Amino acid sequence: MMIIVQDLKKSYGSFEVLKGVSATIEKGEVITIIGPSGCGKSTFLRCLNLLEQPTGGTIKFDGKVLNDKKTNINEVRKKMGMVFQNFNLFAHMSVLDNLCIGQTRLLGMQRDEAEKTARELLKTVGLAEKADNYPDELSGGQKQRVAIARCLSMKPDIMLFDEPTSALDPTMVGEVTAVIRRLARDGMTMVIVTHEMEFAKNVSNRIFYMDEGGIYEEGPPEVIFDAPNREKTKAFIHRIKSFRHEINSENFDFIGLTNELLNFCVANALSRANSNKAGLLSEELTVNLIDKKDLVGIYFSFPDNQESFELTVTYGGEARDVTQAAGMEADIIRGLISDITYTYDGTNRICMKW
Amino acid sequence: MEIDKAQNGDICVLTLTGRLDTATSPKLQEILTETISSSEKIELDFAAVDYVSSAGLRVLLSGEKNVKVNGKTMTLKNILPEVMEVFEITGFSGILTIV
Repeated sequence: MMIIVQDLKKSYGSFEVLKGVSATIEKGEVITIIGPSGCGKSTFLRCLNLLEQPTGGTIKFDGKVLNDKKTNINEVRKKMGMVFQNFNLFAHMSVLDNLCIGQTRLLGMQRDEAEKTARELLKTVGLAEKADNYPDELSGGQKQRVAIARCLSMKPDIMLFDEPTSALDPTMVGEVTAVIRRLARDGMTMVIVTHEMEFAKNVSNRIFYMDEGGIYEEGPPEVIFDAPNREKTKAFIHRIKSFRHEINSENFDFIGLTNELLNFCVANALSRANSNKAGLLSEELTVNLIDKKDLVGIYFSFPDNQESFELTVTYGGEARDVTQAAGMEADIIRGLISDITYTYDGTNRICMKW
Repeated sequence: MEIDKAQNGDICVLTLTGRLDTATSPKLQEILTETISSSEKIELDFAAVDYVSSAGLRVLLSGEKNVKVNGKTMTLKNILPEVMEVFEITGFSGILTIV
């Protein structure tokens, strides 16, 4: 067990934010924390490395009680990387220096060794060519990728993310979540506070839903998002209705997918026009435009008031925006939907909104 | 998809009910081919069809070619607005005879 939290309490004056939280985090786990604003998600995360001083309870990391006066918290923090909403890069240092300073000052590495590591890490977040730039010359998404690389340069055992995409323009969220997804694949232990529900669903092994001053419900994403057990979790999750279908490309079952999608539309009292539109987009993409062997999944969501809809289809293979193909199949998609976004981060992703 | 076949004078009327998609189009293909071979005038009643995908369009296109080649006629009637939208996006409203 990497982290054991017992009866953690945190108050600001007479306001008790955390009312006795207990949780365990194991090595290799990716945990996302979701919940309404002000529920204590960030406070909980910041207590884990004592950026906030708990008012009660204990936090054990690798067997050491962190909030014990005898523990050298600075030693422990080297092993716990943190990525902030607002990047917190050193503005007066180049990107390369941002990645070297912790290594030379805190890990005692030689400058050339630190630089080598820094350049390798910049390559892994796709920013090798930005080494000599200053943070102000980068976009929000690039700054956050630098912040993640800087965090990795300290070779942490665990990484904590405090709303890493909240300060970003929506078009830049994908490049940051892609980097975090890659870390998850590589086995990094992570705790992520986020409002990005689709990301939370895809990246985590376990979700903590926080409410009422604690972890109100926890479970794997398929339980928390598709079949939550407790009342407030249900209310929170169901504000957004969503349908997800993973496709086993070996034997793609069009009729099965269509029936599931239609049942979902009927169960949520969707208008015929909207359920037909979702059906058509799904059919043209999965049956006609994307190679069966490349199909990955389909995700359809809308808020309770049904004022906007979003359908995303993901597929493997080479980077290829199939909605730009010639022929009536792609014509139908472009004719029905004016807001289509295509992205590629190793997986092709077509997001259609109406 | 249900397909009902009835003779109305010299016109053979196919009344379709349901979705015309990848799964159901082969059935229309089969019945339409057979109907075109035995009738001069074919009418497709779309009043109860609320969904047509490219798979359905391909069947209609091959039917249209088939009647043209053989000097016969095929008309579509009672098309719902959401189906008409797909016909218009793909230019099929100009290819098919819609009344």
